[in-house]
Amino acid sequence: MAAALHSPPRMMDLLASLEASGFASWLRESGSIWGYPTVLTLHTLGLGVLVGASTVIDLRLLGAAPQIPLKPLRRLFPVMWVGFWINAISGVALFAADATTKGTTTVFLSKLAIIVVAIVVMAIKKMVFRDSAAEKTTVTVRALAVASLVLWLAAIVTGRYMAYV
Amino acid sequence: MTTTLDAFAVWLRATDVSQAITASPWLWPVCEIAHFVGLSVLVGIVGFFDLRLLGFFRGVPLRAAWSLMPWGKAGFGLAALTGVTFFVGAPDQYVNNVAFYAKLAFLVVAGINALCFETLYGAIVKASPSLDRIPLTYRAIAVISIVSWFLVIYWGRMLPFVGNAF
Repeated sequence: MAAALHSPPRMMDLLASLEASGFASWLRESGSIWGYPTVLTLHTLGLGVLVGASTVIDLRLLGAAPQIPLKPLRRLFPVMWVGFWINAISGVALFAADATTKGTTTVFLSKLAIIVVAIVVMAIKKMVFRDSAAEKTTVTVRALAVASLVLWLAAIVTGRYMAYV
Repeated sequence: MTTTLDAFAVWLRATDVSQAITASPWLWPVCEIAHFVGLSVLVGIVGFFDLRLLGFFRGVPLRAAWSLMPWGKAGFGLAALTGVTFFVGAPDQYVNNVAFYAKLAFLVVAGINALCFETLYGAIVKASPSLDRIPLTYRAIAVISIVSWFLVIYWGRMLPFVGNAF
């Protein structure tokens, strides 16, 4: 269920030293509200912003609120990147705190893989916006929107599952 | 007052509904996921509309941005339903938790703020193709919306860390 993958010894040494580092130890052990709770809150906010903005675009691409012109929605991409980087950075902090345990699980690696694919889909979606004449929601565009929704949902599922690992 | 709340929590915990919620090994995690989905949808749609009120995404007519709101309400509904499920399933985690009351307080603020906007200005927004200058009141409501929803999320995330129980 939550089996740790067999990591090569050198990798485990690296993860162990990361986990033992000053910052990771403080995050994990201090009990300070400015540590783990704050990092987790940032991670939640980041995902809200990223998935939220992505959902607005996906809903529009799937035909909801058709009076919204596509071109202005291009400005949502920087917003999504802000959410992404907040989560990447808070994610690294969360990873460091439990690098040898949670960081080596199948769940976590699946989550990373899902996020990579989701970002690729996001990049492809961006190309739709480059052609402002493409107001038509083609099958490809709708497939991208569905893929995006499913992938971010999967990222949330695997992320939440990590709390049970 | 704490004794009455505790008594209520004990009573609620003993109900069949509450027992059923915690008896299932998958219901709680599924509700957590749905809670995150709901909040993301809410943040995205309400946030988008609030940003529009504050002058961003000017190419989007106000009325068009507003038309996504039913989805935002659906996101809120999902979060609220799962939230009630958590409360019913484990009331002892919440009734003596300061973070829970803070979250509720900001939920009330966010809710009243949203209701005010819809009641007072909803019809205007739906009718007008675009407003060259967004009125100050709309912008104030947008700021209150962003701040109060942020605090709802903040206190929600703090639930296991502030106060007792978990």
